[in-house]
Amino acid sequence: MNLFLQTTLNGLVLGGIYSLAAVGFSLVFGVLGIVNLTHGIFVIAGAYGALVLFTKLGIDPLLAIIPIGAVLFAVGYAYQRTIIQWAISRASLVASLVVTFGVAMMARNVLQIVFGPDVHTITPTYSFSSLTLGDLRIDLVRIVALGASLVLLSVLALVLARTHFGRAIRATAQQPLAAELSGLNTRNLHGLTFGLGAAMAGASGAIIGIVQPFTATSEVAWTLNAFIVVVLGGIGSPAGALVGGLLLGLINAYTAQYVGPALTQAAMFLVLVLMLLVRPNGLLGNAFGESR
Amino acid sequence: MSGIILSGRGVTKSFAGLTAIQNVDFEIPENAIFGLIGPNGAGKSTLFNLITGYYPLTAGEIRFKGEDISGLPTYKRNQAGIARAFQISKPFPALTVRENVAIGAMFGRPETHDAEATVEDALAIAGLGELADRTAEGLTMGALRKLEVARAFATRPSLLLADEPCAGLNPTETAEMVNCLRKVRDRGTTVWLVEHDMKAVTSICDRILVIDAGNKIAEGTPQEVVSDPKVVAAYLGEPLENTDN
Amino acid sequence: MKQGAALAAAAAVVIAALVLPMWIGPFYTRVLQLFFFSAALAVAWNILGGFSGYWSFGHTVFIGMGAFAAAHFVQQAGPFGSGPWAILVPVLFAGVLCGVFAAIIAYPILRLRGIYFAIAMLGVSQVVGELVNNVSWFQGGVGVFLPPPALDGMAPEDFFYYVFGGLLLLCVIIAMMVRKSRFGHALLSIREDEETAMMLGVATERYKIAAFVLSAMLVGVLGAVYAYSVGYFTTYTVFRLDFSLNMIVFCLIGGIGTLFGPIIGTAIMLFITQVLLSRFLDIHLLITGAMVVVIILLMPGGVIGALRAWRQSRATGKDREAEART
Repeated sequence: MNLFLQTTLNGLVLGGIYSLAAVGFSLVFGVLGIVNLTHGIFVIAGAYGALVLFTKLGIDPLLAIIPIGAVLFAVGYAYQRTIIQWAISRASLVASLVVTFGVAMMARNVLQIVFGPDVHTITPTYSFSSLTLGDLRIDLVRIVALGASLVLLSVLALVLARTHFGRAIRATAQQPLAAELSGLNTRNLHGLTFGLGAAMAGASGAIIGIVQPFTATSEVAWTLNAFIVVVLGGIGSPAGALVGGLLLGLINAYTAQYVGPALTQAAMFLVLVLMLLVRPNGLLGNAFGESR
Repeated sequence: MSGIILSGRGVTKSFAGLTAIQNVDFEIPENAIFGLIGPNGAGKSTLFNLITGYYPLTAGEIRFKGEDISGLPTYKRNQAGIARAFQISKPFPALTVRENVAIGAMFGRPETHDAEATVEDALAIAGLGELADRTAEGLTMGALRKLEVARAFATRPSLLLADEPCAGLNPTETAEMVNCLRKVRDRGTTVWLVEHDMKAVTSICDRILVIDAGNKIAEGTPQEVVSDPKVVAAYLGEPLENTDN
Repeated sequence: MKQGAALAAAAAVVIAALVLPMWIGPFYTRVLQLFFFSAALAVAWNILGGFSGYWSFGHTVFIGMGAFAAAHFVQQAGPFGSGPWAILVPVLFAGVLCGVFAAIIAYPILRLRGIYFAIAMLGVSQVVGELVNNVSWFQGGVGVFLPPPALDGMAPEDFFYYVFGGLLLLCVIIAMMVRKSRFGHALLSIREDEETAMMLGVATERYKIAAFVLSAMLVGVLGAVYAYSVGYFTTYTVFRLDFSLNMIVFCLIGGIGTLFGPIIGTAIMLFITQVLLSRFLDIHLLITGAMVVVIILLMPGGVIGALRAWRQSRATGKDREAEART
């Protein structure tokens, strides 16, 4: 029983990180209708950014979230307003998918050249402490990571629900033309949404760096994880990302514990394929309706 | 003009108490170009939808080549030989004009064997020969309408329902479309045409059925219909020389 | 007349390909062998992805399944026949097995469209790959050995050069036949607008499944021959994401959905990566990615699409001139 509880706890902690790593992908998918295959790059770039800030300047990864988020916001905004916008206007929405795929290949290669093929981890001082709760034991970093993820997700949910910016994003997602006619600059909003998605991804990367080892090639896995989270939970909302992420974390932890650690990927994809067949819009559906 | 290809007796359709088509009789002679006109909201589209089986009949019966088809689903009516060219054309954009037509010829009716000849025939009739190797996405409105008719004709129907094929076309394109429909008829396909453009209708049709508010108000040759006081009354406020475009 | 010329050109290419290994030496024979293999894969992918519009991101599953099927067939049943022909039966078995597997998963998975189908196929390839790697019976983790065929003094690179060349020719002929047939037109109509296709009487479900199975069988055969050409392999030799991605990239660059686009795209990309930049292995991904971005932004129809657009615009220009004159 304790083993089961411990596994569940591990799964939920992991799931919180999956949620944060996926929420930007989900937002961009929901609002812009773009499947952004560069998403994993943003995550891994965040991790490398935190690594550099930590090793060179001694900045704690959790503090590094702020500069990393700011930089990735700018990068994401510029990227959407140029390459992605060009691809959509010259070809199609599908073309934007392929372009993000090409950019991901390039960026992965650049990261490999800059940082080498080695696996990295970030090890702040609290890396090796752990908490015990009865018989359950949990690493402090994981608690910190989960806490940071939940805080960031809540902030995003509040921004979307309460601010003018959030309302504008939702309006743009549901009725782009009507939003434009009501005086919203949808192009600018799309850029901002994409930037926000990239910033969330970068922030999650900084957190992932202290919990899990990473290399440039892990970006593929993070893009796929984001996709699975969206399929499980639903498109476009922090709540959907949270539900999907926690489910994915649990699937991962249970499979590793009860089936075999080598089969976690297989289990995740099996669930993905089954879920697609049964309920392609996720448990919480598309936050912006069926219009896309 | 031997027999009657399509006939309706007491055709009635009501939607939740509202009668859209009331007790309409019609007989479409084989090898004719038959017109269906009426003011906006008269029930023209509803009548077409009843014939293709998109809506079930409330009362009455529709016979095609003597057989009662009132209960058949759409695709069976299609296989029996009723084709429809839609007002809003839905071509396959990245395919060439020829390929678009070929798909109509290949899959429409099972017994069509010489698909290639059918395709060339349909292209020639619609006057699309020169555009055959262009992709559909770059075509003008006029060419798209012709493509819609060609693709429908390629299914080798014995009755072609053409839903406002001239809407939105300029006079030259309208004349070409009229010409194209004549050729379709000359190949032995009966054409039933819904059209707003009175000039087109009166110049091409052998007979015209006029409905208003779901009721048949007149039927006859173009001259008879145009001079019919009931028709003139129904169109009052909407001039006969309709320039819808 | 035009057909005769095309046939003569094709015959010339085939004859040139037959005598080429005598002149170019083993290195370029191997490069060409890789070209034949990659181009054949792209052509096979294109039958599903290009003609019917169902992009699979996981076609490597059929390479891997074909490779392991051939190896296990030889392990269980022993080699069939002797000499170069010994590879025939295991390779055919691999193709059939992939076809059967595709037929089983086809009905549910082809209900998905667009990116969902693409990612689901990626999922299928990951799941099968991990099972092969971790279920010990498959021996994917430790690797399996496929005994090389007895070649009677012929160099192995020459032998596989001819086999892959023949398979490329086979794939092209099959793709051509599909493209010209009723089947091919059905696939194109599905790609363009599945609903309208249904309304015109196309049995979309049946044709999609057929394209999927055909594509899988061809890739399975190619995978099995590839396994013979490497001799010893593990899961990661044959279940490779980059195999899946290359099929897409090569088709995109040449012109997706066209007959010769996949071959042209493969030629361009392999020329860049294997010949021009053969020494700069660590930037291949960068170049490939850049090519993809540039192609999508500048010529979304690939090389063939750009040529066609140019010809069409020239034709329209002529029409306008003619109109202006009258």
